[in-house]
Amino acid sequence: MQTTLQNTSPNKTASQLFNFWESFKKSGTGVVGLYMIIVILILAIFAPLIAPYDESSTANVGISDIYQPPSAQHWFGTDDAGQDVFSNFVYGARVSLTVGFFAAFISLIIGGSFGLIAGFFGGRWETSLMRFTDIMLVIPDLPLTVVIVALTKPSLFNIILVIGLLGWTTTARVVRSQTLAVKSRKFILRARAIGASKPHIVINHILPLVMPILVVQGVLVISLAILNESTLSFIGLGDPSVLSWGQMLNYAFGRGALSSGAWWALLVPGLGIVWIVLGLTLLGQGLEQVLNPRTDTHHLMPSRLPLSKEALVKPLHQNTLFEVQNLSIHYVGEGKAPAHAVEDVSFTLKEGELMGLVGESGCGKTTLMLALLRLLPSAGQIVNGKVFFKGKDLTSLSEEELNEIRWRGISIVFQGAMNALNPVRTVGDQITEAVMKHEPKFPKENIPARVTQLLELVGITADQRDHFPHQYSGGMRQRAMIAMALACNPDVIIADEPTTALDVMIQAQILELLDNLRKKLGLAVIFVTHDLGIVAELCDKVLVMYGGVTAEYADVDTIYNNPKHPYTQELLKAFPDLTKPKKKLSSIPGYPPRLDALPAGCRFAPRCPAAFERCHTEQPALHSIGNNNHIASCHLVEASK
Amino acid sequence: MNRSRAILNKTAWAVFTILFVIVLNFFLFRILPGDPARAGMKDPRLKQEAIEALQVRFGLDKPVINCFDSLNPIKIGNCNVNPLETQFFIYIGNLFKGDLGISYDTNRPVSEMLSERLWNTILLIGAGQILSIILGMVFGILGAWKARTLVDYGSTGISLLFWSLPTFWLGIVLLFWGSANGFPIAGKATPGMSSYPLFQQWGDVLWHMFLPTLTYTIIFMGEYTLIMRSSLVDVLSEDYILTAKAKGVSAFQILKDHALRNAMLPLVTVIAINLGFTVAGAIQIESVFSWPGLGSAVFEAVERRDYPVLQGAFILIAVSVILANLLADLTYTYLDPRVQVE
Amino acid sequence: MSTEHFLEVQGLKKHFEAGRPALFSRDVQKVHAVDGVGFTLRRSEVIALVGESGCGKSTLALLLMGLEDPTAGTIKFEGQDITHLNDHERKDLRRKIQMVFQDPYESLNPTQTIEEIVTEPLVVHGFANVPDRRERVVKAMEDAGLKPAEVYMSRYPHELSGGQRQRVVIAAALVLEPEIILADEPVSMLDVSIRAEVINLLAELRITRQIAVIFITHDLGSVGFFADRVAVMYLGRIVEIGTMLEVLENPQHPYTKALISVIPVPNPRLRHERIILKGETPNPINVPSGCRFHPRCPVAIESCKASDPPMVTLSKTHQSACLLLVK
Repeated sequence: MQTTLQNTSPNKTASQLFNFWESFKKSGTGVVGLYMIIVILILAIFAPLIAPYDESSTANVGISDIYQPPSAQHWFGTDDAGQDVFSNFVYGARVSLTVGFFAAFISLIIGGSFGLIAGFFGGRWETSLMRFTDIMLVIPDLPLTVVIVALTKPSLFNIILVIGLLGWTTTARVVRSQTLAVKSRKFILRARAIGASKPHIVINHILPLVMPILVVQGVLVISLAILNESTLSFIGLGDPSVLSWGQMLNYAFGRGALSSGAWWALLVPGLGIVWIVLGLTLLGQGLEQVLNPRTDTHHLMPSRLPLSKEALVKPLHQNTLFEVQNLSIHYVGEGKAPAHAVEDVSFTLKEGELMGLVGESGCGKTTLMLALLRLLPSAGQIVNGKVFFKGKDLTSLSEEELNEIRWRGISIVFQGAMNALNPVRTVGDQITEAVMKHEPKFPKENIPARVTQLLELVGITADQRDHFPHQYSGGMRQRAMIAMALACNPDVIIADEPTTALDVMIQAQILELLDNLRKKLGLAVIFVTHDLGIVAELCDKVLVMYGGVTAEYADVDTIYNNPKHPYTQELLKAFPDLTKPKKKLSSIPGYPPRLDALPAGCRFAPRCPAAFERCHTEQPALHSIGNNNHIASCHLVEASK
Repeated sequence: MNRSRAILNKTAWAVFTILFVIVLNFFLFRILPGDPARAGMKDPRLKQEAIEALQVRFGLDKPVINCFDSLNPIKIGNCNVNPLETQFFIYIGNLFKGDLGISYDTNRPVSEMLSERLWNTILLIGAGQILSIILGMVFGILGAWKARTLVDYGSTGISLLFWSLPTFWLGIVLLFWGSANGFPIAGKATPGMSSYPLFQQWGDVLWHMFLPTLTYTIIFMGEYTLIMRSSLVDVLSEDYILTAKAKGVSAFQILKDHALRNAMLPLVTVIAINLGFTVAGAIQIESVFSWPGLGSAVFEAVERRDYPVLQGAFILIAVSVILANLLADLTYTYLDPRVQVE
Repeated sequence: MSTEHFLEVQGLKKHFEAGRPALFSRDVQKVHAVDGVGFTLRRSEVIALVGESGCGKSTLALLLMGLEDPTAGTIKFEGQDITHLNDHERKDLRRKIQMVFQDPYESLNPTQTIEEIVTEPLVVHGFANVPDRRERVVKAMEDAGLKPAEVYMSRYPHELSGGQRQRVVIAAALVLEPEIILADEPVSMLDVSIRAEVINLLAELRITRQIAVIFITHDLGSVGFFADRVAVMYLGRIVEIGTMLEVLENPQHPYTKALISVIPVPNPRLRHERIILKGETPNPINVPSGCRFHPRCPVAIESCKASDPPMVTLSKTHQSACLLLVK
């Protein structure tokens, strides 16, 4: 009764294939591998047309024909039986491909179904199948293959069968873990909630996401099968009636090619194996890259040095801790339009001040915070502007000079503390590291006491100091991060969405902690969040960002009670207010712009209820309102002045 | 679940796997065509007294196991025999006594023949593994550190090539090259070396090990390089690396204190899974260079249809791999504090 | 049929086994995920189930959907006991109760087009060949705010924004013309500016299609304006239930009071004293004796440690389980 969705049009398949090819083409290695395999396929299919001599023709072979070096007649010389190496090589491709494909087919069927059954059904099925797989995985393949083939007749059929029957273990593991991963995704639960049967779920939801992995795995299994066949042949367990590349090597090695100096008889078949295995490996890498695009970038790659067009070398204001002037940050990707992640943002922060940085995901707020510490990923670059910290221009410092300021002057608490703490080092150890790095004169024997004291400050008991992060709850990890941020008595803490994904009560605990610390230690805090409620509860002033630019910047009361920018106004209307439970929420239509495809005029114009013509063509400048340091970037503000 | 329980669990499974291999080994040699265990008794190379000794030692006149006199062809037998009087339990008993039978070819006890060879193989694999792991780590770290530079592309390309080489063929190529350049190409020692001082003997062995170890190292370092590189790139893009950077820790310190241990985890897993391939490599390399180890024992046993040696070598290889795998598993448990079972 | 008994849940419990405390221990530990929950739902009513993680609200959702089998208690739908139906018996029922999940990125299969996703429920329920199949799909999509439907049909989930994806999930629920939608944190992964659009959509559906909504959330603030009633959960139990205004303006349980006090108010002029509870929700394996909230309760008295408070009726619609309310 339940079948696959019948509306899979040929169009869909075609467009999927096209998309696949487009992304596959980008991986150079994959395309090279594909061409290498195509060459071998042509050799195998058209062998009778390509090979100058018949398969293993021993007619008219005399003793003088044995191990003849390459010549015009025999491009790759002759072998121990006086046969043409090139012809045998061409026919050998057929054997390798046959063994590879059929053995891999058997392995994939077994491994695929074991993995699928174990992953999908779980329970006893999973336990018994995976235990069996683990046992088979540990037992060394080749010796077992050798034993079985040695005890049976070494025919090509037997060889394929044995290689296939023993080569499924990794496939079973890979397919099982992919099945488990797919099964745990919410769309499977949704399908169950709809009432879909198990076969329906497997066919429509699990298989489409497991098949690609199986294809990649298949490419790998083929190459292993080809290697295994050649090894067996070389050991002397090949099918004597067919001449595979391994068999050619076996004969040449066993029958004096070395002593006769007949390098061609050894080199040519070996290169054939290398060619096909390398081709398959590259192809597999290319396919893998399509499935799991990896950017191959990481945090220790050299960062781009800031550009600075401004001649300004001095901070404008006195007595500020932080002063950010006209900061612009772009992301530069190969062959991509630069993304203008942050454009012309300025603000100041005084001692003990708490500033809220509000914006939706993708508005550039995290980029801005990383830039303050010069921690941008390698594609990011400060293209304009200055960051002054206590009068020092951070954009002109070297990495070593920055390392002195990081954590001692400015520390940062990241979102999602699960990943922000190293899982294999204890929490206490990671705090100790910060103390030792920045206070080398601090007496070593007092460090544990200091770490304990820091943890107690955030409500973590001394006995939990030497626990690993995974032994902490989410809230505790976040508090441990705060303790770590306090380790070197910094002047500023940047808190980047520190309470997102935490429960309301835990969130309240952490906010109270930050607020108390600020009062007790005179810390300045930059609090990055998308939650307007938290900002209203906590902050002194607020910077509202939209699409990488400052929308509005003012003290907290002005932002909430006298906002000038339409984005701020709309955002407040969309935010639920418990004190007005009857009020209907309004949403802002549309969604934020992509930073690499910005609208021509004001970045908020496409969603703005008050937008007029000019907004779509001209970017508004930052206008100050009154003399209270209230800034908004909106044409309406200019008009009303 | 705590760590000691995890260790207990893993050890128990290793023991179970060994028992499985022992049973598999027994039945393989009795189910597959020709019942080599019995057919072997007619092997013309065996001396009469050896045959008689074997009859008694392996109880070949007794039923294979309860209810079956023979498994190929299947002959149903009496189920009411004393299990200890069947071939199966006699085989198990002999195994625990260390008795693996007598070689058809040399008429020597298999255990005696293989025990000296086992150490030669461990020497070769040990040297090759250590070298390939060290080199793989070095190039992997270099590739990850200098990601997307020429160094990275070069090391990845060479690694992919190394990974694709058939072991025995690389052995042959190096043999070809080595013989032209005066390297020893066969065996473990120069004949007559035993009269020389010990350190000279050792030097001679090392000299003989050069080409086999080189082959081994090249074959395995490619994969280790690739794994190390990709797992290090993964680790280096984690948030905790950014935390360390924000703490002002220098890049070198981050690599040393925060990244390496985490990046080692996948490498250890791969080394464990690779142990089987390691043995496959040893069989080929030892065969090419006539290195007197377990691998060449397999090669020779196949050539001479010397089944007791083949059977013994298989048991020995499998048990060593299982134990080495257990060791790797326990190392992982030590490296990763998060390890838990189920 | 009485509207009172549209959906009726009584004494619902779900205990999971959690392995043994020690290697050779005999007793198996139990996670008391849902530990005696009861409430009723009227036709086209919106009820909000509010609680922190670990309070059992997600397990409760799975129980109501029949995706987990309850340990005890009953669920009645339109008077019929649906607690332990098998897959076959449940099939018709599944059409009437549909679910919307937290993460719209995860709850759509990336290899299916939007049309396939919205059509799938019809296929599963054997309506694949009805003549008005396409119209039903189009109507569901447009009712969910994906207008015009044709524009979206051949797209893939990754081509849509978060809010649009959540609309697709809702469309796939609407296509079967359900009577109840169970929404599990449907907006917590969305940006603030588009949360309201999803909430407003759900609020509209109850009016246009008379759909009842069970809205599960950790954020009392987000349900304020559209829920009829609110049930506050703590550690597997409902500790307070009442109309939205009763609970928000006159909370009686100390936990509800604390929960409401910590909800940030987006107005700096209204900063107020918050009741911040110490510690975290205890592990549901070791449920505290007596009142399960007493270890964290700011106003607990001695007897709270010993006796489990009953539900106290405060008004026709307002009930709370606290010993201080027992007179």
